[in-house]
This record gives sequence, C-alpha cells and structure tokens, in this order.
Amino acid sequence: MGAERHSTVLTPDVGFVKGLIGSGADNLKRCYQCATCSVVCDLTPQDNPFPRKEMIMAQWGLKEALSKDPDIWLCHNCNDCTKYCPRGARPGDVIAALRKSAIAENAFPKFMGKLIGSPALTIIALAVPVVLFLIILSTGGYLQIPEGQVVFDKFFPIHYVDPIFITVATLVLVSFVVSVRKFWNRLNVEPYKLLAYGQFMPSFIETLKEIVAHAKFGKCGANKDRTTAHRLVLFGFIGLFITTNWAVFYLYVFSWASPYSIEADKIPSVFGGSQAMAAMAYGAFKIFGNVSALLLLIGGIMVISNRMKDRGFVSKTSSFDWTFAVIILLLVITGILSEMLRLSNLPIAYPMYFAHLVFVFYIIAYLPFSKLAHMVYRTTAITYSKMAKRDIM
Amino acid sequence: MSDGKSILVIGGGISGVTTAIEAAEAGYDTYIVEKNPYLGGRVAQLNKYFPKLCPPYCGLEINFRRIRQNPKIRFYTLAEVESVSGSEGNFNVSIKQNPRMVNNKCTACSKCVEACPVERPNSFNFGMDKTKAIYLPHDMSFPMKYVIDPSVCPGTSCAKCVGACTYNAIDLSMKAESVKINVGSIVYATGWNPYDATKMENLGFGKVKNVITNVMMERLAAINGPTKGVIQRPSDQKQPKNVAFVQCAGSRDENHLKHCSGICCMATLKQATYLRESDSASTAFMYYIDLRTPGKYEDFLKKVSSDENVKLIKGKVAKIEEDPETMDPILIVEDILGGKKIRHQVDMVVLATGMEPSAKATGAGIKLDSDGFALTEGQMAGVYSSGVAKSPNDVTTSLQDATAAALKGIQSLVSAGRK
Repeated sequence: MGAERHSTVLTPDVGFVKGLIGSGADNLKRCYQCATCSVVCDLTPQDNPFPRKEMIMAQWGLKEALSKDPDIWLCHNCNDCTKYCPRGARPGDVIAALRKSAIAENAFPKFMGKLIGSPALTIIALAVPVVLFLIILSTGGYLQIPEGQVVFDKFFPIHYVDPIFITVATLVLVSFVVSVRKFWNRLNVEPYKLLAYGQFMPSFIETLKEIVAHAKFGKCGANKDRTTAHRLVLFGFIGLFITTNWAVFYLYVFSWASPYSIEADKIPSVFGGSQAMAAMAYGAFKIFGNVSALLLLIGGIMVISNRMKDRGFVSKTSSFDWTFAVIILLLVITGILSEMLRLSNLPIAYPMYFAHLVFVFYIIAYLPFSKLAHMVYRTTAITYSKMAKRDIM
Repeated sequence: MSDGKSILVIGGGISGVTTAIEAAEAGYDTYIVEKNPYLGGRVAQLNKYFPKLCPPYCGLEINFRRIRQNPKIRFYTLAEVESVSGSEGNFNVSIKQNPRMVNNKCTACSKCVEACPVERPNSFNFGMDKTKAIYLPHDMSFPMKYVIDPSVCPGTSCAKCVGACTYNAIDLSMKAESVKINVGSIVYATGWNPYDATKMENLGFGKVKNVITNVMMERLAAINGPTKGVIQRPSDQKQPKNVAFVQCAGSRDENHLKHCSGICCMATLKQATYLRESDSASTAFMYYIDLRTPGKYEDFLKKVSSDENVKLIKGKVAKIEEDPETMDPILIVEDILGGKKIRHQVDMVVLATGMEPSAKATGAGIKLDSDGFALTEGQMAGVYSSGVAKSPNDVTTSLQDATAAALKGIQSLVSAGRK
C-alpha cells in the first residue's frame, strides 16, 4: 500500500473469510473503511492503528498478514468500535473471530484446534474424558458407587486422578511451547521485527502487572462492566490453581490425604502433634479453595449476564465463546455441588464428582485450543508489542 | 372551492414553489402550504449555490415574481396540513392557518421592531443572533410581512408594537383558523431539516464551542447573516485561519441517518471557497470517507482542490475535544492514507450534517421508505412527491424533479377528470 509504484500481489483466502463470518463476524463485509473504529479505540497505537486495517485485511482474506498481526491481541473487546460503527460491521466481533482463528492456526497438534474450535464437536470433546475415565475406572474395578461415608477417593482414587492430570498438564505444556514458538516467529517479522531481546523480562513483568490490574480493560468504554467479571474469573482460576497445588503439596509432601483428618494419630508429623496447627492448615486451605470457587462462580454468572444485557450495541459473541462460558459455569457449579453433596453424605455426590472431573479435564486438556488459550497468546503478544514499542500503555 | 381541479403542494421550498409555478403556468390552479412565515425554505438560508457559486436570492426573486404575477397560485404561509381524505380527483384537505398577528397592511417599515421589548433566538440564523418577538424572517422574505412569534410575545398585555404601527397592521387577537380546500392531486415537497448535531455526542456539538454545522456556516458567510458575512468562530468572534470540515456527520451512519445525504461533499467544497476567499492565509481541511462529487461535479472538486490551502484527508473524524486554553477544537481521526491516528487542533470545525427528511416527523399521508423519504412507487393515486422529500438531492436535481412532479400532478387532474 506504499506510495511507490510496484505491483502488490494479494492472495485472498475465501475459506478464511467464510470462517470468520461463521464465527460471529457476519457483518464483516459491511465495513466501508471510515476509520471511526480506530478513532474511538483507546487501546490502539497511533501508528497503523487498529481495527480499521484488520477490517480490510479480513475482508480481503489476507490470512497470512493477519497471522503476523499482534494488534488483535491488544484489543480487549471493549466494543467501543462496534458501538460507534456507522455500518454495523461490528469490528469487535471481527477481531474476536480473528483471535479465535489465530488460536486454531497456531494450535499444536492442529486437529485439536479444529476439534475445540468447532462448537458442533463440543460433544466429542466432552466424550473423550468420559470414555477415558470409564475405561480407567473399570479396569481398576472401581466402576461403582461406594458404600458408607462419601469420600471421593473411594470412587475415583487420587492415585488415578493425579497421574491423569499430571500427564495432561505435561502435554498441555508441550503443546503451548510448540504453539507459542510458532506464534512468536509469526509475530516477529517486519514491520515490527525486534532488533534486540533485552527488553523481554521488563516487558513480560510489565505485561503481568497490567493483567493483574486489568489496566487495558480499564480503558474500555462501552463494555466497562466486563472488567469486574473478567477479574473475578481470572482470580478465581488463579485461586483454584493454587488450591490444586496446595492439595498436591499436602498429599505428597505431608502425606496428608483428603478428607484431611485432624484426629491426633492422623495429622502429619510436620505439625508436631499439634491438632490446632493441623486445623488451621486445614481451615486455611478449605477457605481459600471455596473463596476461589465462589469468585469463579460469581464472575462466570456476571460474564453471562453482561452478555445478555442491552449495552446499546449488538455483539454476536460466537458460539465458540458461548460454549466456553457455559463450560466454565458448569465446571464451577458441579464442583460446588460435589462438595455440598459430599458434605450432606449423599451418594449422588459421586456422579456429580465424575461430571466435575470431566469439565476439569475439558478446561485443562483443551487449554491450548480453547478460548482460555488467550491468556497465553495475549500475554505473549502484549509482551512482544511492548518490546516492539507498539503497546501504548 | 375548486372542485378537485387544483393541485396542492405541501411545502414552499424551492421544490414546492417550482412545482406550483410550473403547474400554474401550464394553466392549473395550485395551492402551496408552507409552515414557515415565508416561502423559499432551505434555499433562502444558503449563501451560495454550488457549483456556480451564485446567490440563491437571485433565483428566488424570479420565482417570487412569477408567483405574484400568477393568480392561479395561492399560498398559505404559517400553515400546516392537518388532514387529507378522499381520493384522486377529490381530496378534502384541512389546513391549519396559524396566526401571523400581522395583516396585509404591513409595509415592513420596522417601527414595531423598535418598540418590541422581547427577544427570541433567530431560527433563520440557527440561533446565532436574536430578533425581536415581532420580526421580519429575513431581508427578502416573501411575503414581505412581519410576523410575531407567539411563543415569546406577551400579547395584549404588552402591545407596544400595536401602538408603534402607523398602518394598523398588527392584530394581536388573531387566532389559528382551519381552512378547508378540495384538490385533485397532491405533491409532497416537504424537504428536509439539518440533522440534529447534538445527537452525535462524540462530535462535541453544543459542548465544544467552536464546532458549528454546515448550515450555520452558510449563515455566517451570508451577507445578510448574523455576522454580515464575516466568518467568525463562536467562542471569541475570532476569524478562524484553520477550519476543519467533518464529512458524513450523521450521514451514512446507521446510528443516525443511514442514507448518504448526497450534497455535503459539494457543500463543504463550496464552503471551503467561502473561507479561502475571506482570508488568503486560511486553510480548509476536509476529512472524508469518500469524496462524492458525481458527474459534472468532479470539475468543481478539481477546481477547489487545486488550491493548495484546501487539504483533503481520508478518514472520518469520530471524536472532537476542546483545548481548554484556546477553546480550539481538537479532532481525533485516522489519516488512513498516512497510516496514523492523529490529533489535529484547528480554530473551528464545521460538521457537514446531513439532510433529515421532514416528512418523517410530520407523519404525512404518504408512504415513506425506511430512511423517511417518500417512496416513488406504491403511493395512492394522485399523490406525488418532489425534491428532497423524495431523495437527498441538490437544488438542480430538485428543480428537475419538481417540474416532473408538476406534470404528474396535472396528468392526475386530467385523468381523474375523464372518469
């Protein structure tokens, strides 16, 4: 698009455009390039601002150019652009669809990106853990509802749960390493090719600070309410991640297994026989875990209710997005119900726990391919943008 | 009164006046119903026409003379159509004649104005100056009669004007009357209103002082305007050096007017010449999405843009802020071809607000499209439209359309007469 006269060959990818249209960007072609969106956006850099240029690249099916674009990750879906768009082209939804496409495009292995990216295949994605768990439980002879006091370990032993999820987490990590490498190499080309990498750590730390503070969200106009909801969901997840590791710590370091008995002969030796200490360790752990779950529950409900609210503009969140929001909500609801039913000593707690583990599996195993992958891609892209002096925060 | 042999023209702007005159000169009785106290409509408020840059008063004067000389044209000012019933060849129309409070004895001597103690914002000049409660709408008003604004006049308790008038021309007891006429066909020439710029909160009109609209710019540049033709900015009456014109302010925007108003690009280019002629050191910046100067108007674009102090920048202004020190407006816009989001501080901003069809608000007895313009197909027999009532047109196109509408009105009379 430069001033010099040379021929530029554009290779439109029609399938790519159709894919975007199918994932919520259905009015994409209405855009007439007025650039209202770039003006009302408070997150865009001044040079080559977004989302106007992304709109025309998307219309033209410039998949390759868009895969190098860090800007789609600077966008936080505030939707000021969508609110003011004179054509109802909904740039916010277009950028969201582009992010979805980027996750699928960088996914490793690629078929997983397709599986999780298609809402129609959600049922298959959920069937995988169901079948897997059933096979494991039946080969171990566990496929029944245990008698007596409800203790999940009797139904789905922890020495089954942990190897499954440790394996899954390792695979997720490998997948992310491959994907992020691919993603970084895509980003790191002209016009923003990095000359030096010395700024990596400061940029990364700055990015994390911003994420915790939700600083970019704070600049949103039309979609302000989302900030609190997103913050609760994020903190809920972080809390539950810590809780999980906390439990792993108790189990393998203290040899203290759920349901964490505080009877004198069963408390870990590290407490030096002090029942009070054990009770405190137990209480702190339980309070922390439950508060985290509540944060996630409240945040999840807020996410959904915000979407239903009339905010003066339409945002057709793609079904991709909805599937994910619903699964998070199911995850936390089954989790809380499992706990409540267990405490009520009702055997129905077992199938509920099973369902909960299925959703946990979905969230963790499919992390690199689901919407949740944005936490890795966004963090990477913002860090990169800061290094490339493209981020305006 | 006329037994279905006349044509009613609703709206006395340039389209309605043209339809009525053309039909009358072809030998048919016509009525014009105009809600303002004068004929001429929006054209009377223009400083110059594009692309010839001649004053509209000139053409209006010729039309007014044609009306005066032709007994077949009857017109009501300060009047509104209340109801229409019947069918082609036999429409019963009820017209509400609002009181002018001034009768035909008025010679426009202006003694009443000197006596009147009450002021009102001058709607003809978009509130940029004031008139008394009794006023002449503009220098060349037709009919050349004063009028009292009943919303501000205290009435008989004051009556200072009545005492000042030596012709016995003021009658404060006038009341609204209902007039019934029978006509054979009806032409809606209801025209347009400038889109209300306050509705675009991001463009700051009404908050950022030195943001005005294009119709205000016409009045500022007009010799009979509030500043006697001196282009001044509102905050400090300074003559602006750098003026930005913001195109599509409300038009081509589904949050405001979905349609392209068609004339704003040409109007802005024209107004750029007002600025450039007023001050050789001035610069006009025109921010646009697309330059829509179709057909022969391309020449005008070339002519105006050949001036290096007329700068055309692709990008829609979507935010306007105010510099609190200088009161200068600051535009925020993406210079699309330059690839940069910029902040541009200027002395004054002119919003090229679009044309909102008036028929939308009046709920007239004519079928409208989703934008509020009269549909050309599917109307009741004997009902037609012309000018901007039908589509956002410039004056030339409106005149052609108005002449065509006159012929349609006549054909309707003739065919209904045969039945």
